[in-house]
Amino acid sequence: MDREFIRNFSIIAHIDHGKSTLADRLLEVTGALSQREMMAQVLDTMDLERERGITIKAHAVRLNYTADDGNLYQLNLIDTPGHVDFSYEVSRSLQACEGALLVVDASQGVEAQTLANTYLAIHHNLEIIPVINKIDLPAAEPERIREQIETIIGIDARDAVLTSAKQGTGVHEILEHIVHLVPHPKGSPTEPLRALIFDSWFDSYRGVIILVRVLDGHLRTGQKIRFWSNGQVYEVEALGYQAPKATPCDELSAGEVGFLCANIKTVADAKIGDTIVDDENPAAEPLPGFEEIKPMVFAGLYPVESHEHGLLRDALEKLRLNDSAFNFEPENSVALGFGFRCGFLGLLHLEIVQERLEREFNIDLITTAPGVRYRITTTTGELIQVDNPTKFPDPSEIKHIEEPIIDAMVITHEEFIGGILKLLEEKRGNQKKFEYIGGGRVMLTYELPLNEIVMDFYDRLKSCSRGYASLDYHLSGYRISPMVRLDVLVAGEPVDALSMIVHRDFAYDRGKELISRLRRLIPRQQFEVALQAAIGNKIVARESISALRKNVIAKCYGGDISRKRKLLEKQKEGKKRMKRVGRVEIPQEAFLAVLKVGNTDAEE
Amino acid sequence: MAGVYVSYPFCAQKCTYCNFASGVFPAALQERYLVALADEIRAHVWEWTPQTVYFGGGTPSTLAAEELASFLQLIPGRPWLEATIEAAPGTITAEKARSWAEAGINRVSLGVQSFIEKEIRRTGRKHTAATVDREIRLLSDAGIRNCNIDLIAGLSGQTEASWRESLDWIERLAPAHVSVYMLEVDENSRLGKEKMLGGVRYGAGDTPSDDETATFYETAVERLAAMGMARYEISNFARPGFESRHNLKYWKLEPYAGFGADAHSFDGRVRTQNPESIEEYLNPASRDRQEAEAALADERFFVGLRLMAGIQPSADEWLRFERPIQRFVDAGLLETEDGVLRLTKRGVMLSNEVFQEFLTT
Repeated sequence: MDREFIRNFSIIAHIDHGKSTLADRLLEVTGALSQREMMAQVLDTMDLERERGITIKAHAVRLNYTADDGNLYQLNLIDTPGHVDFSYEVSRSLQACEGALLVVDASQGVEAQTLANTYLAIHHNLEIIPVINKIDLPAAEPERIREQIETIIGIDARDAVLTSAKQGTGVHEILEHIVHLVPHPKGSPTEPLRALIFDSWFDSYRGVIILVRVLDGHLRTGQKIRFWSNGQVYEVEALGYQAPKATPCDELSAGEVGFLCANIKTVADAKIGDTIVDDENPAAEPLPGFEEIKPMVFAGLYPVESHEHGLLRDALEKLRLNDSAFNFEPENSVALGFGFRCGFLGLLHLEIVQERLEREFNIDLITTAPGVRYRITTTTGELIQVDNPTKFPDPSEIKHIEEPIIDAMVITHEEFIGGILKLLEEKRGNQKKFEYIGGGRVMLTYELPLNEIVMDFYDRLKSCSRGYASLDYHLSGYRISPMVRLDVLVAGEPVDALSMIVHRDFAYDRGKELISRLRRLIPRQQFEVALQAAIGNKIVARESISALRKNVIAKCYGGDISRKRKLLEKQKEGKKRMKRVGRVEIPQEAFLAVLKVGNTDAEE
Repeated sequence: MAGVYVSYPFCAQKCTYCNFASGVFPAALQERYLVALADEIRAHVWEWTPQTVYFGGGTPSTLAAEELASFLQLIPGRPWLEATIEAAPGTITAEKARSWAEAGINRVSLGVQSFIEKEIRRTGRKHTAATVDREIRLLSDAGIRNCNIDLIAGLSGQTEASWRESLDWIERLAPAHVSVYMLEVDENSRLGKEKMLGGVRYGAGDTPSDDETATFYETAVERLAAMGMARYEISNFARPGFESRHNLKYWKLEPYAGFGADAHSFDGRVRTQNPESIEEYLNPASRDRQEAEAALADERFFVGLRLMAGIQPSADEWLRFERPIQRFVDAGLLETEDGVLRLTKRGVMLSNEVFQEFLTT
């Protein structure tokens, strides 16, 4: 289609502000789906996405819209992930667009995530169309929100569209705005091919499916293409677009969005942000902005049943086919046996992988406390990167440790500010900005160690703001910090899976808390069990679990042996689900106890 | 040696800690039950002559003396080596005691549980220490001198001092046999529900801790030993020669036939079980017994080891369980001597931990 009639746009919205409902409505109004075919929220196709109300994978749906000017337009809706863990993916999706709908809930207002993504969109020179949604709700205050958009984001919101995606009001106006305000794609069909990979996934029948935006030139079936970052060459086997059903086509030309299959074996080969060029007539320059995705959060994943180790490896390999953002390597724990050290984009990403492993592959997992990757300079001057507490060098060999630092932005209501400031201070934050952004809302900018937010930061932020705080962050650098390894000894034996890296000033308190939590989680054993937290040889906390006094069935009623057997079997089964470290049976929850340390508010 | 168990699941009131299918039911149901029970016993093909009989409950002492006699008529082997009836204190009269003796009963097991009035009331029972004292005399006068007294450690309101007082009563009454149970608060009992949901009626909030209960029990072991009653099974204590012959069959895996609702039988190979509830037992559609091959390989351990005398594992068994045995011997929970394997004093308290390791399933 002529570029003049193409519009590529995405939707920026905070969770629950109505992005999916609006997307469904656009599909419905343009006839892409009949009402009968509509299943609630078509775009979030993974179970997990539907349940959590979040988008994990990007999608691109083509809508054919005949505008009031009588012309037929091709509108490509590029749906992006909406979580801070996936901000790189978001930036690549935005790069594929010329415009964005900024959807803001008419009663909730602008949130940190929305703000961050809007800035990202402005940075990519996207035309922003403000949409104030949910105006049907009694608590809606469209005028206040309009002002807020202007003051906080600094864009003109006079023409903001007032909609109720739920009721369908304002949808036509949005479509007209897209046609008239979003610029048509630039690029040139006559230049050599340059296409942007903005997402990819693995399909067991067709191999890797890539979502592309063609910026210059043409993509045609049978064409030999080359990936800029790794030089790999493939032949295009199929092209198409989602409408929203997959519709094959022979060509995608400059300005268009669609999918591509080229018999690619793993998504790791088709990197998000990479540029596709023609193998015979390659463009001189790649598209800007490509980065290798680097995991930021690391944790050990272990099967509860040690014989499922092979199963876990297969599952991780399969998941990796589809998710190149996470990586894994075998690791061995004295306490937990054979498992894998895995790297993730963030905590949500970790949770998603963990849930998919449990659901789709049916593996019971023990996850060790998530941590970050430290840069350690040794006394010999060598720089090493360590993401596993057990691999920390001996303190005598460490010259200094650098920890990753993030710039975090929190938007909340002023009534919650006390608790949030306390939390940010406790998490070793440095305040950089404190701004009132109107309507009783406050925007905080803090420098925080990443290590402090991977534990329980989200949960605590939510609980001290009753859910009215949003967070966005990005890595800003490294800082030298006095980090130490806190070890846990159970009955005198170190339990490596419970080790954690903490700031020296917190080691004593965290050690005490962890030990007292473990005392409550580890059931009494046949003997007294000493629990100790130690830094090197120095014990910083100690408690003991007194020996179990009795576990005995008193009565045998009228020769009922089966009742006894059942009880014994039940007890035995319970023990099977524990991990035996030395002589002590440790339940799975104990390994998660580390996660909750520092969370004194949650104590009963 | 073989025994007969007859189940009579009717009570005048349900104890607050009780999680059995026993309880208070309409009189009409009781009549139908007795007919069905008699039919079941009559239909039984006796492959052996029983040497022991045990009337358990429920509260079989509330059964009319003639009724009891007529049931005993149906059971061969009289006079039995041991014929026990379970009795709730407060249900025994001189006349009843005499007719029991005449019908062949030679042992009575009294569900005393405690001699402390406050504790007894909270269980829902109505007797006093004086009732027990009087009824033991009545039984003795009728010629029944082999009595068991049940005690429960861990009742609501129990303290070290009150427990000592109950044990003092045992010393005073000098029964031939005592059973001490450590109370497990079952969530299906009224006490358990109160404990979970909160409430004050049965004193659930006032039940001793597991550790206190364990201490009470260990105190009892010492006191009873000093009175000449040795522990011969985890919860059973007797003067020499007064161990319950019937109950020993359970631990020694000897055969027994059970009749009535929730009655269990064992023929030396197969275990069978009648339906638990009275309604199912009376209903021809659900009356059938459940059968299961006994897993003797592990029962020998988790049932047999309950006896303080221990068991004599075969050469095969020593080999098969070599590792757990060694582990528990090292931990001081099991001891071995001349081919005998038995629980130590500590092993008794943690016997479930030991038994689990011998389960072969």
